[in-house]
Amino acid sequence: MSRIIKIDGESVAPLADATVVEVEPGVYSVLAHGLSWEARVTADEISIGDHRFRFEVEDPRQWKRTGAGAEAHGRASILAPMPGKIVRILVQVGDAVVAGQGIVVVEAMKMQNEMKAPRDGSVTAIQVKVNDSVIAGAVLAVIE
Amino acid sequence: MFPKILIANRGEIALRIIRTLREMGIRSVAVYSDADRGALHVRKADEAAHIGPAASSESYLNIERILDAARRHGATAIHPGYGFLSENAKFAQACEDAGFTFIGPSAESIRLMGSKTEARRVAQSGGAPIVPGTEQGLTSSTEAAAFARDAGFPVMLKAVAGGGGKGMRRVDRAQDLVAAFEGASSEALRAFGDGRIYVEKLIENARHIEIQVFGDRHGNMVHLGERECSVQRRHQKVIEESPSPLVSRKLEMRQRMGEAAIRAARAAGYYNAGTVEFLADNSGNFYFLEMNTRLQVEHPVTELVTGLDLVRLQIHVAAGGHLPFTQDQVSLRGAAIECRIYAEDPANNFFPSPGRIAHLAEPSGPGVRVDSGVYPGWTVPLEYDPMLSKLIVWADTREHAIERMLRALGEYYVGGIKSNIPLFQSILNDAAFRAGDLHTGYLDQLLKAPVTRSLAVPELAGIAALVASQQVASAEPAVIKETQSRWLSSGRERLLR
Repeated sequence: MSRIIKIDGESVAPLADATVVEVEPGVYSVLAHGLSWEARVTADEISIGDHRFRFEVEDPRQWKRTGAGAEAHGRASILAPMPGKIVRILVQVGDAVVAGQGIVVVEAMKMQNEMKAPRDGSVTAIQVKVNDSVIAGAVLAVIE
Repeated sequence: MFPKILIANRGEIALRIIRTLREMGIRSVAVYSDADRGALHVRKADEAAHIGPAASSESYLNIERILDAARRHGATAIHPGYGFLSENAKFAQACEDAGFTFIGPSAESIRLMGSKTEARRVAQSGGAPIVPGTEQGLTSSTEAAAFARDAGFPVMLKAVAGGGGKGMRRVDRAQDLVAAFEGASSEALRAFGDGRIYVEKLIENARHIEIQVFGDRHGNMVHLGERECSVQRRHQKVIEESPSPLVSRKLEMRQRMGEAAIRAARAAGYYNAGTVEFLADNSGNFYFLEMNTRLQVEHPVTELVTGLDLVRLQIHVAAGGHLPFTQDQVSLRGAAIECRIYAEDPANNFFPSPGRIAHLAEPSGPGVRVDSGVYPGWTVPLEYDPMLSKLIVWADTREHAIERMLRALGEYYVGGIKSNIPLFQSILNDAAFRAGDLHTGYLDQLLKAPVTRSLAVPELAGIAALVASQQVASAEPAVIKETQSRWLSSGRERLLR
């Protein structure tokens, strides 16, 4: 097997001397050294008991660059995590902000959530107005 | 008795009511919005009526459409559930005016207890102790400041028309009062159409303990013991239990609070199910907080310790029946705990996590009850409260109930969206919770404490890797003939992403 399996970002060898059976779609029964485990897989997450692991599988035969360069720019956009409505805007363009400071309040599913600055900087753009409806991933504000 | 009842609600509570109706041989009519065509309560009801678009203001809160659905389906009574129109006096009145029995108290009782300031007055006239506060709803922060100067900080601002934590603010210092008042008032105006705020002295380290009362239309009223709901976040209850660990230590509190609750309810001419909420301190003092004129979210814990079906009882007294037991015949047995399972991410500031439930495994076994409104494949809609289900356990003692809840939480798996199950696991393992040392600020303190990560078992990572390789293998076609296949390369890219 030429695949590399990463569990929580680290390369891990599959446990030997174990049997694994897919008992339901996405549900695996693992017997290892006399112990019985049940594992559930959803998207890129494996859940075993109270533990949750992220997994990725890399195939060296298909090389692909991932991840690099994501933070190269000095800009940080604040994105709507889900569809919702803008309730309040707590800053103005030009304001200096510190990491963790509230920028925009979005209401979704009856809850108001404060979107916070990911780091120190100054607000260079606010892309929404109060009462705007936004979709998931919409850029709410930009900090440089 | 009613041959057919319409349920003016959705989600787990609609389903919970449908189940009792089926046991009673009464036909159930569900209502649904565009977002809920495939919802579980629609699937499980005998009949279902479409009442409008996803926005609740145009469906679950639209009185005319609900009454129209009841007429079309020939229902003779309407159960409001909790939330939505359940505490709307106009709705209760409109049901009665249109010839339907409203399964709940009178419109007049709802009106009296729905105004928090009026409720305080009524409760006080019935002899229930109340927290010092302004008698009237205020429209300006100067009046609030005057009260706070006399009573001393901290104070609590609350919406006159409030509920569910909306329009509530804690204020510790005079200089924060104006901003807090304006924030609370605008939040209340948006949520309830009424921006009036009143001010109460804040009782520090208070516990939230409430009494379930039940009355018939012939003047009989009993209480069914207490529930402690001190584990809260943003004034929303997270865990509820019965009996209260405090009352278990000071048993005379139950009778005193029960009697005070009954007096308050009687002063409002109350019948059917209701809950009188109190703040209590560890010396056993308690103060009337408000009355909820409906079935509560947390009613199952009372059902488990009393052995009663409160929905059946509601229908029985709504049909004119007498309470089938007296106070002396109410006995409480064992301990029950409820966890409210929400689609939210406790690791990410409790952001709501709507979306499709890809996998679902619900707990079962001895002493476990799951009141759920979802199923695998269901997409949790954005428009409504993100509660997925309530997990309730019963055991002979509180200690055993905690162990049982942890066992059940371990069996519970929600995949595809985030849930707050890990939060419950940390609360139930916390020493203060297990000792019953609770107050309404308890959960905020716990969340501020540094997170102790559970130790990863090295072998588990190897098992995860084994499962991952199996999952990838089963997702691949069995025979690979053409290595340049577009399907194959796109599949590989998906895995690599």
